[in-house]
Amino acid sequence: VSTYVLMKVLESAPSRYDKGLRILTLGRLDEVYDRLASHIEKGQKVLDLGCGTGALTLRAAAQGAEVKGIDVNPQMLAIAQKRADEADLAHRVELCEMGVAELGSEDAESYDAVMSGLCFSELTEGEMSYALKEVRRVLKPEGLLLIADEVRPEGLGRRIIHGVIRSPLVIIAYLITQTTTSAVKNLTDRIEEVGLLVEWVRSNRLGSFVELVARRPGSGER
Amino acid sequence: MSLVRYVAVNIIGTILRFFPWRGKAGLIEIGHPGRSSPVLVTCNYRLTMERVRGALQGMDAYLLVANSRGINVWCAATGGLLTNHDIISVLKTSGIEDSVDHREVILPQLAATGIEARVVEKMTGWKVVWGPVYAQDIALFTKSKMDKTEQMREVAFPWTQRIEMATAWAFPISLFLALIMMLLWREGILPGLLLVWGLSLLIYLSFPLYGRWLGSGRGFSFIVFAFVILWVLVMLGLVSYCILAGGSDWGPVARWGFVSFIVLLFLGIDFLGSTPMYKSSLHEDRLLKVALDEQKCRGVGYCEQVCPRNCYEVDRDQRRARMRRAERCVQCGACVVQCPFDALYFRSPDGEMIPPETIRKFKLNLMGRRLVK
Repeated sequence: VSTYVLMKVLESAPSRYDKGLRILTLGRLDEVYDRLASHIEKGQKVLDLGCGTGALTLRAAAQGAEVKGIDVNPQMLAIAQKRADEADLAHRVELCEMGVAELGSEDAESYDAVMSGLCFSELTEGEMSYALKEVRRVLKPEGLLLIADEVRPEGLGRRIIHGVIRSPLVIIAYLITQTTTSAVKNLTDRIEEVGLLVEWVRSNRLGSFVELVARRPGSGER
Repeated sequence: MSLVRYVAVNIIGTILRFFPWRGKAGLIEIGHPGRSSPVLVTCNYRLTMERVRGALQGMDAYLLVANSRGINVWCAATGGLLTNHDIISVLKTSGIEDSVDHREVILPQLAATGIEARVVEKMTGWKVVWGPVYAQDIALFTKSKMDKTEQMREVAFPWTQRIEMATAWAFPISLFLALIMMLLWREGILPGLLLVWGLSLLIYLSFPLYGRWLGSGRGFSFIVFAFVILWVLVMLGLVSYCILAGGSDWGPVARWGFVSFIVLLFLGIDFLGSTPMYKSSLHEDRLLKVALDEQKCRGVGYCEQVCPRNCYEVDRDQRRARMRRAERCVQCGACVVQCPFDALYFRSPDGEMIPPETIRKFKLNLMGRRLVK
């Protein structure tokens, strides 16, 4: 019977995705996403990178924003679409099967905010640098970049504790979602390198998970 | 130093063959590449990366490592972990566009189950060429102006690969067995390990003797049959040993019978999927048949270029493809995904048609099912 249960769990990987991530983040994810979405205002144009099953996209749409969610996984997008329909938010949500390397199709200075929940940790180094440059390009002056993601803790001691705590969670999450993530290195430095100003960072005690708000400088400042 | 690394990666990669192992994605320079050097793509499965680099020694080329989540090319492409987006991404974000003047990229042929050449071309302007199945043929392939011989297109299962697969199974099974026996039956550990490695090597090395009977859907029942026979043989051996040794204690026979049954069960559970010649019996797609819509076929031969079993023959005069060797098909779906006229599709045993859009969009998951809602 247990094998059967395991098989069922694996079969429905995309629909279990949120659950797997909740395990990986020890249940903090919902409040984190709520806090991030609280920066979004009515009528704004918002881009959600790696929207997955729509957790951030729907929160932003519920605040009254027009949201474009992009993700490379069509099955996740199908779930996101279904949720948007159910929440009666479909008219404010556009979902696209698209990776961060394909952001070239978006107009410069066209978004008030770019959100990204647990997406950067799934990117390669090259993708991450590319994505951050593109984010700066598509953001309007004064536009916000809102990130919630796993980062590599500073200092060896913390890194070891983090590794020990994380390894069983990674295995469980992998069994449920068949994906795993690798914590991002030097996130704030890399954001500032592309010319965005990091305004606010909140990190957990271990320094392994951050919420971050960065702003593209207005035309008058540097 | 690089030799030490090569050997170490090969050993670890072989004994832990069934676990993903991520290498760093991005651009690798092979030799001293220039602005017209060939651009090749591989996956970020660490073992593959090491072997491709080894095979390319002596060439000047750019190797793009795409993010396949640490899984090999064939499995990742078929399972939706190496997609159009990953190829587009490595072309756009690795810096290769600034390093060469041409726009032609060689993809591993086995990636054709998941990567749509047309989408990559449309999104990036890079022309996709399907390279050979094995990295060792790349040098010859680029020298012969991208002309692929029939042999370069086909998957093979030589004794080296068979030993690798035997090891890939024997190592985790023996580890598991040793852990359990440590608690229950310590003196049985050594003979237990010999049993695991012996049976595993026997099954894989003797593959050429029985491999041909595994084809066309009967494979799984044959495997069950063969493994029962093998188990009966092991049991007969145990019983006769016991009688010859003059023993009247049947305890060890029962115990070893049980252990060998479990070992054979593990070895048999995905035997077909452990060979490149057959679809895994755990995958629903194994029951499908590729069908050709003759009205739509124009004989451009993409199917012939990507089929890893050389099932197709293209009649260039009549402009028609034919599946002359359909019985060899492993239902990988590469031909269905690549056909520019949607002339190929899958047909299920009950006659249902599975169109190319479905195969392109919904990939096989770990349990071998496509999540079509």
